[in-house]
Amino acid sequence: MDQHAGGSADDDRSRKLRQKRIGDQLRRLYDEVTEEAVPEEFLNLLEQADNTKNKQ
Amino acid sequence: MTKPTLDDEAFKAELAGLIPHLRAFARSLCGNATAADDLAQEAMLKAWKARESYQQGTNLKAWTFTILRNLFYSEKRRSWRRQQLDPEVAEATLIANDDPSSAMDLLALRTGLTVLPEDQREALILVGAGGLSYEETAEICGCAVGTIKSRVSRARKALAEIIDKSQGGFSGDGKLRASEAFDDIMKQADELSSGSTADARN
Repeated sequence: MDQHAGGSADDDRSRKLRQKRIGDQLRRLYDEVTEEAVPEEFLNLLEQADNTKNKQ
Repeated sequence: MTKPTLDDEAFKAELAGLIPHLRAFARSLCGNATAADDLAQEAMLKAWKARESYQQGTNLKAWTFTILRNLFYSEKRRSWRRQQLDPEVAEATLIANDDPSSAMDLLALRTGLTVLPEDQREALILVGAGGLSYEETAEICGCAVGTIKSRVSRARKALAEIIDKSQGGFSGDGKLRASEAFDDIMKQADELSSGSTADARN
């Protein structure tokens, strides 16, 4: 599949640089969500589930 | 019942600590934030109910991600299936960023992610952003480690192509309207996803 004959060192470097950028931005997209405050609903639901268990 | 499981309080605390990751993984699968939170909540509750089957000492994050992923794929009729990138999200991506070329990259990346095959996208997200190892990812996705490696590598290559093409089209024009940029990237992405890998560059 890979047909480019002998990618030069420059090509190689720029490919690596680009992949690093993609990696950084991928993490940025993901971290945008992990850094958001968790909606209260989540913790409420978890507490509810826990309390239901205790009443059984 | 006498297996070494975490006690409920400890389990609850750990699970609560993973909520941000459940949300992020769900968002990457669903695209739409509301649908993603529904999915993440359901996964969290399912993990809670199944807590006795979790084996202490194994990776709880990978365990909950497996639950979330199974939910996502088993309930295909649900509204949380991925939709196309919302143009409003696209605009916001461009506006929120003061470095135009980085904004374009980010937009191209978001768009690129929506057109990647699902199996490639999830592998790339888990390994590239979620901090999971190839081995853990293989376990979550129920396939061989080699398969994950190849999915990640194909995904990276495809994304690089989409971003390259978008840069070719936009460089030098600082005043490009976001909607035009968006249309153009979508077009590139469509081409890439319809014509298979065989002849992406012409």
